[in-house]
Amino acid sequence: MIFLQLLINALSLGSFYALVAFGFALIFGVTHAFNLAHGELILLGGYLAYFLVKYWQLPFIWTLPVCMLGLTMAAVLLQKLLQQVQPPYELNTLVVTFGLALVLQNVMLILFSANYRLIPSVELPFELTKFALNITEAQVMDIVVSLVATISLHLLLRKTFLGKALRATIQNREAAKLVGIHVRRMSLIAFLLGGALIGLAGPLYARTAYLQPAGGTEPTLIAIVITIFAGVGRTRGILLGGWVLGVAESLSVYLLGSGWRELVSAVLLILLLILQPQGLLPQRARWLG
Amino acid sequence: MAAQRSKAISSLANRPLWTCLAVLIVLTPILWRGPMPWLPTAAAGGAIRIGEVDPLTGKLANHGQEIHEGILYAVNEVNAQGGLAGLKVELISRDDQSQPEVAINQTEDLLYREKVLGLVGGYVDSLVGPVSELAAKHRTPYVASASLQSRLTQGRDNAYFFRVAHLKGIVEPLCRFVVEVLQPRRVSILYANTPGSTELGAEVRACLEKANIEVPIFEKFRSGLPDFSTFLLKLRQARVDTLISGGFFADHLVLVRQLKEQNVPLRAYLGPWGIAYPEFIETMGAASEGLLGMCAWNPDITLPGTEVESRNFVERFAAAFGKTPNTTNMHGYVSAKALLLAIAAVLKSGHELTGENIAKELRTVNLVTPMEHLAFDENGDPQHYRQTVVQIQKGRLVAIYPPDRASAGFMAPSGP
Repeated sequence: MIFLQLLINALSLGSFYALVAFGFALIFGVTHAFNLAHGELILLGGYLAYFLVKYWQLPFIWTLPVCMLGLTMAAVLLQKLLQQVQPPYELNTLVVTFGLALVLQNVMLILFSANYRLIPSVELPFELTKFALNITEAQVMDIVVSLVATISLHLLLRKTFLGKALRATIQNREAAKLVGIHVRRMSLIAFLLGGALIGLAGPLYARTAYLQPAGGTEPTLIAIVITIFAGVGRTRGILLGGWVLGVAESLSVYLLGSGWRELVSAVLLILLLILQPQGLLPQRARWLG
Repeated sequence: MAAQRSKAISSLANRPLWTCLAVLIVLTPILWRGPMPWLPTAAAGGAIRIGEVDPLTGKLANHGQEIHEGILYAVNEVNAQGGLAGLKVELISRDDQSQPEVAINQTEDLLYREKVLGLVGGYVDSLVGPVSELAAKHRTPYVASASLQSRLTQGRDNAYFFRVAHLKGIVEPLCRFVVEVLQPRRVSILYANTPGSTELGAEVRACLEKANIEVPIFEKFRSGLPDFSTFLLKLRQARVDTLISGGFFADHLVLVRQLKEQNVPLRAYLGPWGIAYPEFIETMGAASEGLLGMCAWNPDITLPGTEVESRNFVERFAAAFGKTPNTTNMHGYVSAKALLLAIAAVLKSGHELTGENIAKELRTVNLVTPMEHLAFDENGDPQHYRQTVVQIQKGRLVAIYPPDRASAGFMAPSGP
């Protein structure tokens, strides 16, 4: 049963990582904007949820749609800003968003102070005494929300005309323009969807980790690592990447100790880049086509 | 002819060599690290200038700002009393952004450009260590507000480094409390990847094993982790009854929340740093009940005989900053007070106001504060620093060990 408990812990951790990475991976995959302010946007979502829970007594679950809406608007502003960036686009967006991250950190420091905050939990775990398993509400939520996000995103990209247009834009922007796809609009839609996913991750971040104005680097790094694990431009790979990382970290903590988790993750990442540079999923599973 | 000469000069001026020389001339005063007599001195303009380097932004901003407030309060207090020998004290604060390399740059700026007389502040040894090296090189006294690592004072022969806290003052009462009061069967020690926490973990483990207490889990972790679920699984498996966590405020938030969520049966959870704060109780709510922490001072926990001074400090601090001070504020206050006292002593003696003379006076400081009776030993460590073990009981911090400071006894948790 220990193995099963370990697996649940690993999957929930991996799901949490995937949720943190979804918005970054989608925006980067579609627009090639390397958003270093990703973590700060997640924190903004987290702070919004924190204040909604603390001062408006809003049930946690209702903070998710509110934050999705709020961060979608923030993502539109980000898209307008990044529209002004001159080529080389990837490099310049990296520089611009790095500056934006610093600005956001200081704004949050002024608005929310340097105090640490989190959304407290009072729920006791679901105890499956027959199997000697403990599953917490946060673990269930991380797993369920990440699965729903993955499936929704996958269906949108694979089964709708909009999804086809987005995928075409990713494959070849010039060709997409020639067949009449409004590439700029696709970019805006990618930011809208990415913003909603960031808004989804924010409250769960505040519920799982903690909020502090300088804490944006951690989720940004998680998002970058998971995107590399998944392979750029893949949605199912993001959840799989999160799970692989979660399992690797949990196993290393269990077998070797807490001090080994980063080293094991780093070795895994290097091995993956050498042996499977296109990401975890085989080439045919890419939603790029 | 004149046109030709002008053209020649213009051509020379365009050469990179001339440009480099011009830049070098401009930068020489900045790059030169020796004395710069033409720059204003630390006591020029009728003010005593002291410098402060603290993490005012970044990961450690919470505690850095608290130390800054304590220092600022001490400076304002002295200025309100007419300054030092009639000279106003000017505090020049610098933000190290919680990064050692920035701490070095800011300290260099304070020492070489601002020419401060002394340095104060600092939170965690990874930031204090580099500042202490630079201060010693520049023969400027540095009184660190929150530093613990033994290596920074033991065997270093740094005559300019002083600090108001040290690890022994935490480890000794902690070990005695665990051995005498908790009397656990199996203890787990989790320590953060910082110099102070690593040393704390090793010393506590040695002490517990000496007392024949089993330590089946002894692990390091990276401060800031979002997940402890697998560690907690191991804790449950190892049937540990006491957890000593050398993490910081934010680490306790995450770890305690997951501990409660997963219903891990522990008799005691002890966090030497980060628990004994009213903010922690406010943030964690009922989940904080029964947790054990440590502090050197608190509005309700003061050095015997300093009750009036402590009360005055709380009232005036609250009036100045709009909040009740905590133990970190007090560390900042005491460190600044020691430095200012030493500067005052030099001024009173009529000696020249130099780093050597201030450091000499710091060695003779004998200051009773609500936090500690401050006197430095030959290494710059405080001789009487000793923390108190506190427990969160009914939403309040209550001193429970050592017996001469305790106002209540240890309360074991009623349920798992």
